Amino acid sequence: MRFFEYYAPKTLDEAIQLLVRHGEGAYPLAGGTDLVTKARYGHLRPRVIVNLKRIPGLNDIAPEEDGGLRLGALVTLAEIARSLLMGERYPLLAQTARKMGSVLIRNLATVGGNLCNAAPSADMAPPLIALGAEAVIVGPRGERRVRLEKFFHGPGQTELRHGELLTAIRLPPPRPRTRGVYLKHIYRQAMDIAIVGVAVLLQFDEQEAIAEDARIVLGAVAPTPLRVPEAESVLIGAPLTEDRRLEAARRAARAARPIDDTYSSAWYRREMVGVLTRRALEHLVSHSPER
Amino acid sequence: MSTFSIIGKRIPKPDAIPKATGQIIYGHDVKVPRMLYGKILRSPLPHARILHIDTSRAERLSGVKAVITAKDLPPRRFGYGRDRTPLKGDKVRRCGDEVAAVAAIDEDIAEEALELIRVEYDPLPAVFDPQAALRPDAPLIHEDRESNLFRHQEYVHGEPDRALEEADVVVEDEFDLGYVQPAPLETSFCLAAFDASGKLTVWSTTQIPFLLQKDLSEALGIPGRDIRVIQTAIGGSFGRGLDMYSFEPICVWLARKAGRPVRLAFTRQEEFAVSEARQSMRIWARAGAMRDGRLWVREAKVLLDNGAYVSWGTVTTLVLMETIGSLYRVPHARVVYDSVYTNNPITGAVRGFGNPQGTFVVEVQMDRLAEAIGMDPLEFRLRNANRPFEETPQGIKITTCGLTECLEEAARRIGWSEKRAAPSRRGAIARGVGIAATMNVGGGARIYRSDGCGCIVKVDDFGRVTVLTGATEIGQGSDVVVVQIVAEELGIRPEEITIVNDDTAVTPWDVGVHASRTTFIAGNAALRAARQVKAQILETAEELLGASAAELELRDGYVRIREAPEQRIPFDKVVRARHFRQGGQVIIGHGWYDPHNEMLGPDGKGNISATYGFGAQAVEVEVDVETGKVRPLRVVSAHDVGRAINPMYVEGQIEGGTVMGLGYALSEHLQVHEGRVLNLTPFDYRMPTIMDAPPIETVIIETDDPEGPFGAKGVGEMGTNPTAAAVANAIYNAIGVRINSLPITPEKVLRALKERGS
Ligand SMILES: Cc1cc2nc3c(=O)[nH]c(=O)nc-3n(C[C@H](O)[C@H](O)[C@H](O)COP(=O)(O)OP(=O)(O)OC[C@H]3O[C@@H](n4cnc5c(N)ncnc54)[C@H](O)[C@@H]3O)c2cc1C
Repeated sequence: MRFFEYYAPKTLDEAIQLLVRHGEGAYPLAGGTDLVTKARYGHLRPRVIVNLKRIPGLNDIAPEEDGGLRLGALVTLAEIARSLLMGERYPLLAQTARKMGSVLIRNLATVGGNLCNAAPSADMAPPLIALGAEAVIVGPRGERRVRLEKFFHGPGQTELRHGELLTAIRLPPPRPRTRGVYLKHIYRQAMDIAIVGVAVLLQFDEQEAIAEDARIVLGAVAPTPLRVPEAESVLIGAPLTEDRRLEAARRAARAARPIDDTYSSAWYRREMVGVLTRRALEHLVSHSPER
Repeated sequence: MSTFSIIGKRIPKPDAIPKATGQIIYGHDVKVPRMLYGKILRSPLPHARILHIDTSRAERLSGVKAVITAKDLPPRRFGYGRDRTPLKGDKVRRCGDEVAAVAAIDEDIAEEALELIRVEYDPLPAVFDPQAALRPDAPLIHEDRESNLFRHQEYVHGEPDRALEEADVVVEDEFDLGYVQPAPLETSFCLAAFDASGKLTVWSTTQIPFLLQKDLSEALGIPGRDIRVIQTAIGGSFGRGLDMYSFEPICVWLARKAGRPVRLAFTRQEEFAVSEARQSMRIWARAGAMRDGRLWVREAKVLLDNGAYVSWGTVTTLVLMETIGSLYRVPHARVVYDSVYTNNPITGAVRGFGNPQGTFVVEVQMDRLAEAIGMDPLEFRLRNANRPFEETPQGIKITTCGLTECLEEAARRIGWSEKRAAPSRRGAIARGVGIAATMNVGGGARIYRSDGCGCIVKVDDFGRVTVLTGATEIGQGSDVVVVQIVAEELGIRPEEITIVNDDTAVTPWDVGVHASRTTFIAGNAALRAARQVKAQILETAEELLGASAAELELRDGYVRIREAPEQRIPFDKVVRARHFRQGGQVIIGHGWYDPHNEMLGPDGKGNISATYGFGAQAVEVEVDVETGKVRPLRVVSAHDVGRAINPMYVEGQIEGGTVMGLGYALSEHLQVHEGRVLNLTPFDYRMPTIMDAPPIETVIIETDDPEGPFGAKGVGEMGTNPTAAAVANAIYNAIGVRINSLPITPEKVLRALKERGS
């Protein structure tokens, strides 16, 4: 790893100014599990590193007045996994965090880093999108908010412009009778990047027979996380029969735009989108054990 | 009941806590004053002529102390095939070939200097397929050879052609066994320093310290006697350290040119890209049996891809030949192999050394034959199992042999009879069991003209014993096993023994740690040395106790009269009595052990090892038929190890070996495209994690080998050999699909299921 300048500002303004001043080649640092690895492997060469961890207020999990939650960008995956508030209001996120990396990685890795790194396989993205999360972005020209669905532009590319930081994720209040699951397909039992990730969120009616709303978001099968409205629509407003679930799974598989790489072939990824979507729906509808 | 006091005890490794707490000094930790950092510039092309190298800008970079190219080095070749120079001057033959090297005051500057070196290449047509490499019009990789064929060998016993006609059933398969990496945690490392008189010290993670002296000497023209090799604590090796590689002479030459010590350590990516992998092999095989359950014949044609240069790894075919010719009693066999140069990555020695490949072929076909004659695969194996004290047609003289017990025990504990007959299926999840056996050299392997090891045991005035052994400790526990053997013989506690095993200037010669040989060979050498010490102690004690040596024994730190144990003198007191007197003598013993095994003849026959280890593994797997994902649920691994000097290490070797075998079976794969390694991180390479390791039950079968030290045989590699075959057989049992290419990825399983139409 090459020589770089290192800053550890104590305020957000200072951090933003540093990034603006140093331009290209200046990188914010959160947990470093992506950034340091890439620098070590020579995939990127930071000239300047701006550590965000000394800035107060970026690592809280705070309830909001509307009943939603503000998730600081620097909250670690370990914190998400064990936070009672999370477990209570958004169990889907706590469950997803537990499926990422290893204990050591989760202690370092942040949710903001996972999103800003913008790997197509980033595990936090599909469930957050399914939950309707919003990215809170602060830059030289102040704060703006973007729906997380619009945050990703391509592998490694996001809505963030140079000098802008992701400060938080805003989650809308949990909706009643809503259940979600994130299924991640990997070869090993841990430490693997998702070959395919599928987040499914269903909001049931009072009788728990019909879905009033459905969200299906796929990871690792397109340049960005992929929401599949054509699969969602099959599920809304009618009984969640096996036929419908199969149809939704078929549509999700068809919508995927996977590639061949060292992890998996495109063929296999597409197959897995179908299997995982079907399994996620089975699990949510019949409470069958998660696989 | 055992009469031993130290043999068979679970004595912990002295380096366990320092390793767990980060206090051990690995090669990567070693720093010496004025040390520089070396880096190697590597070829981006698989095959190209080097037209011009311009190092002038790198030389001018501040902080750079030496830049070398092939021109700086003596024109000497090295390696098993004498086919490479440390730096390449005329042409490169693989991606990653060494073209230039720099030494600088830190790693960043060294890296920057590499970027300033300009190399002009003229790309040549390359060949990546070993079959294509054999065609007459294939690009020639080594111009001084007539073709890309490195070696062709044929092995025959019996009359395989006739036997294939005679056999009631014959099965035929093609196997495609991919590359895997030894992938130790510590990447390749070397530190070289010349002293004022021009003598060289090399700190190394090698497995062959004494041959490294010779190899460096041959590659660089430095006399071997001026080279001292010090082994640091070794962060895993698994066969990697069995050859000298280019980076080692390069590191030495940088140190010579810079006039300062130079350290050269691989990055993790370099480790995956250029350190030597297990041979990828394509094997076409047939096997035949009689309806009554007799195994009748085996035939295999093997295409081994050496890559651009050959290493000792090419000898793996001998091991494979032995597995195909002698695992189970097989009256007729033929093995034909071609080992071939290509522009692919170099392959080398990895734990098992050809045996995992050979065992995969044999054991998959054993299952297929059993099915073809309608016999239970366990029953078929038991009928044809090797027996004790039997010579195979290959000239392998089996002595102790617990194969039958291993098979029976592994099968019983996995629940063979209930599970095999009725593989279960619940929803998408199918379960099945499989079994495979292994035979491995267990008493050395004569691949060099010597298979010897030396040992010195000396005793100081306080009764502290020092064992100087040539045997290398690579994590397997030879540092304790050798001590236990000496402690048993001398009747003292292991804590009273210091072992020195890391410095060629101090320790006696050894051929290296390979072939699961260290407990057997170094153990026997230590036993011989200890016996001399014992004789000296008894000689002095005779006078002191007034009894003859035959009446005395060494036990619990005393010399005592066997029939009257209360008459005793402390061990250290005897030592002092020998020192402090007129005409006194020092207590020191030395031992050299070189077994009576043979090098294989040109016909591939001979008794390569002084004894053989046997084992059997039974595996239960779960297959998800919708995703193709295979999960090993449980492994039972039963091994005939002669005697377990330290059962904990036997278990450790078996467990570690099994997990390595599971990686080979299911997930590890070095992906190579047009000579370039694609997966360069542990992440992409997918070694099993602890979460992937199923419960492994080890069963130790003791057969008390007559030649082994206290009856012990080798076990180091056995755990890895049968795993892939056992897993493949279990998958077949679960879902009725055969995958003959490794690793058996979920994708391959799913494709096979879809093709069959289930
Ligand atoms: C062994 C291992 C296992 C892993 N397993 C998984 C896994 O299972 N699933 C998964 O999805 N990922 C995994 N990862 C990837 C990584 O751990 C995650 O993406 C992690 O969440 C990144 O967070 P971080 O805080 O470490 O990010 P960093 O490495 O600090 O940053 C990542 C990128 O985002 C930028 N950045 C970080 N924070 C901000 C911010 N607030 N505003 C603007 N830009 C920012 C950085 O400049 C950098 O470019 C793994 C990594 C490793 C090494």
